[in-house]
Amino acid sequence: MTEAIEIGIVDTRNILKLLLEQYQYDFSDFSLISLKRRIEQSIQLHSMRYADALLSRLNDDKSFFDQFLHELQVETTEMFRDPSLWRVLRDEYLQQLEKPAGNAKIWLPNCVSGDELYTLCIVLHEYGLSEKVQVIAGYQSDYSLKHIQSGFTRSNILEISGENYKRYQGKNNFPDYFIGETPSQRKNPGFFEKVQFIRHGLNLEDAPRGVDLILFRNKMIYYNPPLAEKICGTLWDSLNPSGYLVVGIKELVPQGGSKPLKLVNEHESIYQKK
Amino acid sequence: MYRAIIIGGSAGSFQVVIKILSSLPRSYPLPVFLSLHRLKHVRSGFVEALSIKSGIPVVEPFDKELIKPGRAYLAPANYHMYLDLGNRIALSTEPPVNHSRPSIDLSFITAAHAYRSKLVGVILSGANRDGALGLKKVKEQGGLCIVQDPAACEVSTMTEAALQATAVDHIFKVEEIVSFLMKLN
Repeated sequence: MTEAIEIGIVDTRNILKLLLEQYQYDFSDFSLISLKRRIEQSIQLHSMRYADALLSRLNDDKSFFDQFLHELQVETTEMFRDPSLWRVLRDEYLQQLEKPAGNAKIWLPNCVSGDELYTLCIVLHEYGLSEKVQVIAGYQSDYSLKHIQSGFTRSNILEISGENYKRYQGKNNFPDYFIGETPSQRKNPGFFEKVQFIRHGLNLEDAPRGVDLILFRNKMIYYNPPLAEKICGTLWDSLNPSGYLVVGIKELVPQGGSKPLKLVNEHESIYQKK
Repeated sequence: MYRAIIIGGSAGSFQVVIKILSSLPRSYPLPVFLSLHRLKHVRSGFVEALSIKSGIPVVEPFDKELIKPGRAYLAPANYHMYLDLGNRIALSTEPPVNHSRPSIDLSFITAAHAYRSKLVGVILSGANRDGALGLKKVKEQGGLCIVQDPAACEVSTMTEAALQATAVDHIFKVEEIVSFLMKLN
């Protein structure tokens, strides 16, 4: 690992202060240590050396802010991460989404790379549910939306994801889900045609209603506990009675509040609205 | 005087970690963080194998779990494990660093910032250079740095890389690491 950029806590706070004052984006309830790392990565990505350069650019260049917002979020770095989760969803939960009247809804609140979204689309396609389920993909910056819809996928992620797909015991040949040649292979845009993309703010404003399943995996790790609790409340409001919320394997949904979410599958971190 | 121990290792470190954990008494006053390279898809078995002979409980922490003394925290598969402000564990799904997630460097760097001079960092046997930069940070923040003697390692790449990067405090054989850590009791 070559010498990476490191900034201090004061620099981090200054950047967050600018984001609040200039753009009205309040990151005060996000994990500071994670934000610090994301900011450092962004500084390095743009070949800057110090936080001051980033501050200046954010101050002067409004269009850069949208891209920066994208960079602050952590991408899912593989498709079919935790293959057993996807197997369980397919084998035990999807049949509950086959509703006689109207579409079931699945919401992914915070898509950054589109990897998890694409995973879900493949799962639904192989199960034959693509026409019967409305997938709602939330995004937080226009840059993220463009990135997702471009279908761009790194070669190493393709390889790792292929191994995960085998463990998932998918029906097809994983590379067939991608078009174009290495290193420019892309996700097949056809899979995103029926997806409804909606933009959210940091607190998931404009959350949909009547959702049957929410996939919110490894997102709460970037929140402080109070924000995690608040967001879980928003997700609860969004769910149908007995709807499901899936979080990361090593995340815990706060318990004991007025909007109960009960753990129904410990191994895969699946919760149900009560 | 010291408030935490962090241990990093890869190939060849498993038995060493078991020896260390089995020598610690139930009443051991410090938390022990284990940042060990591990198979991504193996979610159960590793912590159980470490627990069998361990004198202290070994857990794979949840995100935001409070850090307690006398407990060993094993970085869960496919997550980075950070030491966060507020005496908590923070997990991350950021990209692998040096092809590793969990990354030893990231754990050590965050531990160095959290515990500064009150940290003991130990690098064990391993087949890549992960941890060299992390141990250097521990030293920079005033912590104590121990490296397993490369001659005694099953694979010496990791310990040699650590020694190249930092003037460590001790180069120890396994028995010496064990008795040193026990003396912190």
